[in-house]
Amino acid sequence: MRYLMFVLLAVLAIPAAAKEPVAKFKTAEARHYTRMEGVELSPEFTDYLYAELRNELVKTKIYAQVIGEGEAVEEADAPASIVIDGVITEYKKGSVVKEVLIGFSSGYRRLKLETTVTRRSDKQSLATLKSQVRIDPRVKETVMAKIAAKQIAKEIKKALEHHEGSA
Amino acid sequence: MRTKFLFCVSSLTLTLWILACEPARGNEPKQTKENTISVALAAPVVPQKFAGAPKFAIASVTDRSGNPQPLLVYRPRGGVFLDRQPTEIAREAFEGSLKAAGLLAPDAASVNLVLQIYIFHFGLANGSGLDFFGKVEFAATVKNPKTGESRQVQASGTSIANGAIRKKNIQRNVEANIEAALEDALRNFLRGTQLRDAVVALAKPPENAPATVPAAAPPAADEPSGPKS
Repeated sequence: MRYLMFVLLAVLAIPAAAKEPVAKFKTAEARHYTRMEGVELSPEFTDYLYAELRNELVKTKIYAQVIGEGEAVEEADAPASIVIDGVITEYKKGSVVKEVLIGFSSGYRRLKLETTVTRRSDKQSLATLKSQVRIDPRVKETVMAKIAAKQIAKEIKKALEHHEGSA
Repeated sequence: MRTKFLFCVSSLTLTLWILACEPARGNEPKQTKENTISVALAAPVVPQKFAGAPKFAIASVTDRSGNPQPLLVYRPRGGVFLDRQPTEIAREAFEGSLKAAGLLAPDAASVNLVLQIYIFHFGLANGSGLDFFGKVEFAATVKNPKTGESRQVQASGTSIANGAIRKKNIQRNVEANIEAALEDALRNFLRGTQLRDAVVALAKPPENAPATVPAAAPPAADEPSGPKS
């Protein structure tokens, strides 16, 4: 019986071990998103988005290290390192009144972001992503940043699946 | 019957409201042993390699956050306090990391670059409410005492930790979060390209130095002299 349990546990552990992703890139540097003219968001929003994005990038486990903005990288690691840069292209505040009276997400807030992923060594663009977040206007801005960061990290992971990181 | 019911509901609401307001009206959180945390780096941050291995000295650490209560990092639930001023914590972290890397000047004579640090944010910042958002932000003036030239270097560190409900867990998470943000900020500073560029620029002699400084004066290099430029 004990032997059977041991075998069962070992069999169950194999897929879990196989699923563990391997770091494809040595470093990923996230930068603060800039805002296009007319985007009325607080400076704290970009700070929080930056922090959340770094947090989410760590969770994807495809980068050996997620470094802060402006940190130096060893020259040997540069070909397997990426830089994530972005712009907040559009933000609409939404309307609680519209949301209550009409419903069907008509009064939702809308945030549009454009993210560029470049290789550090030769500045080659690896991906350009467009993301959009829609959220209830009663929810805090920072929650919107959290959702956006999660979405961006997921999209970057998907976009980099076919790129060689050689970490 | 209906009036009685309404009276009961309204009195119950009033009682709950008074109870809810009690702690707020009550008092500002006060620092005790139980709600005080000690923030320190778990391990020194390893800086990047600088050309010529300059020796740093920390002249001053100034709090420019404008926070009237710098020790109070978390207000709800009786508050969470730091055991020391943020300036002290930052100085200790800087000195510890520089010393571990052999970049801290042992005496005034061996100082190559002087750091003046200005803290703009230390502690928690507005997060999503679901977690703790730690932020440490500072700027440093890197000055070459021999030439009088200086450069500004900015650095920031962030950390997001899980929220908590129990007070013990809140304290533990806040402490871990601020420590992580401090470590991140220090790493951002010590491994940043801004500091590297500043060190390279300040190591060079001033542009008009060759014309004014005679070549046969190297022994006086260690002494802090007046501005030559």
